[in-house]
Amino acid sequence: MATSSIFHNIRTWLSNRWYWVPLFVLLIWTITPLVWAVSASFKDAMEVYQTPVTLIPNHFNLDNYIRVFEYPNFWRYLFNSVFLAITTTIIAVVISILAGYAFARYAFRFRHILLIIILVPRIIPRASIIVPLFTGIAALGMLDSYLSLILTYTATAIPLATWILAGFFKVIPKALEEAAQIDGAKPWQIIWYVVIPISLPAIITVSIFSLREAWNEFPFVLAFTSSQEMRTLPYQLFMLKDSMGMQDWPMVLAFTIVTILPLLILYIIFENAL
Amino acid sequence: MSLYDIRLSFGAAPFIGLENYLYLFTDEVFLNSLIISLVFVFGSVVLGLVLALSFALSLYKCKRTGNFYKALSLVPYLISGIATAIMFRFLFSGDVGLINMILSTLGIDTINFLAEPLWALLICILANVWFVCPFATLVLLSGIQSVDPELFDSAKIDGAHRFHILRKIILPLIAPMMGISLIWLSFASFNMFDVILPLTNGGPGRTTEVMALYMYKVAFGELQYSLGSAVMVIILLFNVITSVIYLKVFNVNYSD
Repeated sequence: MATSSIFHNIRTWLSNRWYWVPLFVLLIWTITPLVWAVSASFKDAMEVYQTPVTLIPNHFNLDNYIRVFEYPNFWRYLFNSVFLAITTTIIAVVISILAGYAFARYAFRFRHILLIIILVPRIIPRASIIVPLFTGIAALGMLDSYLSLILTYTATAIPLATWILAGFFKVIPKALEEAAQIDGAKPWQIIWYVVIPISLPAIITVSIFSLREAWNEFPFVLAFTSSQEMRTLPYQLFMLKDSMGMQDWPMVLAFTIVTILPLLILYIIFENAL
Repeated sequence: MSLYDIRLSFGAAPFIGLENYLYLFTDEVFLNSLIISLVFVFGSVVLGLVLALSFALSLYKCKRTGNFYKALSLVPYLISGIATAIMFRFLFSGDVGLINMILSTLGIDTINFLAEPLWALLICILANVWFVCPFATLVLLSGIQSVDPELFDSAKIDGAHRFHILRKIILPLIAPMMGISLIWLSFASFNMFDVILPLTNGGPGRTTEVMALYMYKVAFGELQYSLGSAVMVIILLFNVITSVIYLKVFNVNYSD
């Protein structure tokens, strides 16, 4: 009797609140790798190997992070990553705002086909354009330069950004722009004073996408650069894993967390705006 | 480029027709990577779609703490493939991995996951899904949110069961979004490179060497750029074919 009522309770709970099951899976699935990595990054090298497992380190210490910051050239890699991410994002967002506005508001020939065509760089797999881009960049003598990375990152960020922005601009009421036009505003003034302030959420979304792309990019920087000074954080993380022979887990994981954290903080700050 | 014979040491690049492709389709290593790619993509797409759809449905249903979970579900999207690979490698590694420690405390024999071909492939799929699923969830969720809620209410009044609502209303109405997220999942998986390279580097042996990895090794390890581009063309063809199928099946209308 009692067991059947328990089953009954479970069944009614499941039929009304079933969505907590996938959400619970989502929670565990998403945070397990992260929490485990964060926890290990505060342990010392021996504690990682101990059983039973500890989630909160016995000897909580920041040594691993200090070792990451003192790693030779770390600040140079950080600078490379930040510099590439910011330059790429600024260029890509400016171009996409202009392109998106043109696609949304101006009727010109081949507009629809062009909008599809600019998606092509997005559709061609990242891994598969490495080889042709590499030979092209080598022919231009731009291997191992910031320019090659900025160009390629910008080119991969623009298509999606243009699409998102064009879609957003389309639904802005035309009356606002027409009012500005009647008051004698030039097209760039309309974009700067009317369109951009209204579409700030979309612009933030697009900027985060583009930051993410440049910050996390790996295949291009692996293929196009050779000198140590040009490495970005993900590249160094990849090399670190190799050079350490996977022995010094806490330090590798601390490095991983350092590469994850900046974007995560940005995301948390702007999450409400998205 | 894939029709020429370009190697670094030669000045000239003679035209060699389809020889690169003929070579590829007789090369056991390539055929192996082709099969592994297909298994990897199939596994990732199926698992990714099931997870993304159930996450999206429950995120839509959950009103109270929904925003927290929505924000959480996107977190893996912000993390680089390398970082994903390293975290998964740490989770599943032989001596320090969480999974093995749990197994050993439960008294089950530990498994050296990344040294066994099938487990290694499975872990590649898991890490890949962890990495690519958030975007598919986002696309599906936006699809469900655009469905008129009155449809659900009127269906409920007519006495439709939950699974009927899912099958007869939600799935047909979000079919275009399903198509887009399927395209995303299989594109990302066919081209996946930054998760597998640090996770297994194609090993053990060549049992997790997908086509993108094979291409990278051929082009930058052996410096055979033309052969690499031939592989690229094949990857591209697979992408185009799968997306055309999805677009047809799910009837995606991209005019608006």
